[in-house]
Amino acid sequence: MEMMNELLDKYFRGETSLHEEAELKKYFALGNVEKEHEPYRALFGVFAEEKQETVKAPLKKVITKQNQIKTLWIKTFSYSGIAAALVLALWIQRPQQNGDYAVIHGRRIESPEYAQQYAEKKLNSVNEILKDGLKPMKRMEIVKKNLQLLNKISETQDKMNELEKTHTINN
Amino acid sequence: MSDVRCSTFLRHYKCMESTQFNNQVLKHSDKLFRLAKSILRNADAAQDAVQDLIVKLWEKRSVLDDVENMQAFTMRSMRNLCLDTIRQNREEDELPVELEYVEPNPYQQAEQKDLASRIRRMIDNLPELQRTIIRMRDVEEIEISEIAYITLLTENAVSVNLSRARQKIREQILIEQKRVEETVWK
Repeated sequence: MEMMNELLDKYFRGETSLHEEAELKKYFALGNVEKEHEPYRALFGVFAEEKQETVKAPLKKVITKQNQIKTLWIKTFSYSGIAAALVLALWIQRPQQNGDYAVIHGRRIESPEYAQQYAEKKLNSVNEILKDGLKPMKRMEIVKKNLQLLNKISETQDKMNELEKTHTINN
Repeated sequence: MSDVRCSTFLRHYKCMESTQFNNQVLKHSDKLFRLAKSILRNADAAQDAVQDLIVKLWEKRSVLDDVENMQAFTMRSMRNLCLDTIRQNREEDELPVELEYVEPNPYQQAEQKDLASRIRRMIDNLPELQRTIIRMRDVEEIEISEIAYITLLTENAVSVNLSRARQKIREQILIEQKRVEETVWK
């Protein structure tokens, strides 16, 4: 009793430690309180009651909303990043895919030098074939020229005939 | 200059995420609410104040990693925010600092059904600093040194204010007790 009086006086002077205050709270909470301490029981009861008060609105919603905004930004940046990476990859890949190949007699030839040499050889042979193929055309040209000469002979003969006719009429 | 930018950038991305924020900041939200309610003396306004603070802390979470005592830091921020709110609405929100406990009239007595309600009213009628300190100590059980940090006072000033607050409440409780006894004897 004496000790509790002293402790209460110390408490109201603001000199008690948290441990001593816990003892006081325990004393008043247990209910077996001295009559002269009874007026203070409600005070410690109020402190205990107030400690049970909690925030009402769902605060987590605020953070969730903020998080959603952040997630949206992250998603936007991620997708943009992925798209950019894909474009870059395709751009880098393109020259590598330029390694063309040729199929010669059913075989895939990837060496450009070999393919070029083979193509040149084939083109030369085509050239030779074309040269031979054009020989009859040259002969035709000669025949054409000769025919033109024959046409001229007939024209000269026509002119001579006309001259002969004119001479006969005059005589 | 670029180092500073880089450091800020890294801090931003290294800063606490929602789980960490929940664990370190939101766990104090009930205490923050009670503190705000004690200062503003209005549950709805306290609720709004806590929401505002949480959003502000979330936006500035990049600097929260450096905070050593999150409870003290958030409670100090909460008190400052509430005091700003009071300053903005001084005329209607804040009672004069010198206001003393006045014995309730019969209407108020009917409203304050029991001694507990009257004690709550006694505490609410204390000056802001005293009611904040008494509740931080007796409800939240916070050390004097931490209360000093939250209220920007010295530890001695906190003890003095705590003592004054408790003494006032004691006097008023005894007056109230005497009045009740007199009523019973009549």
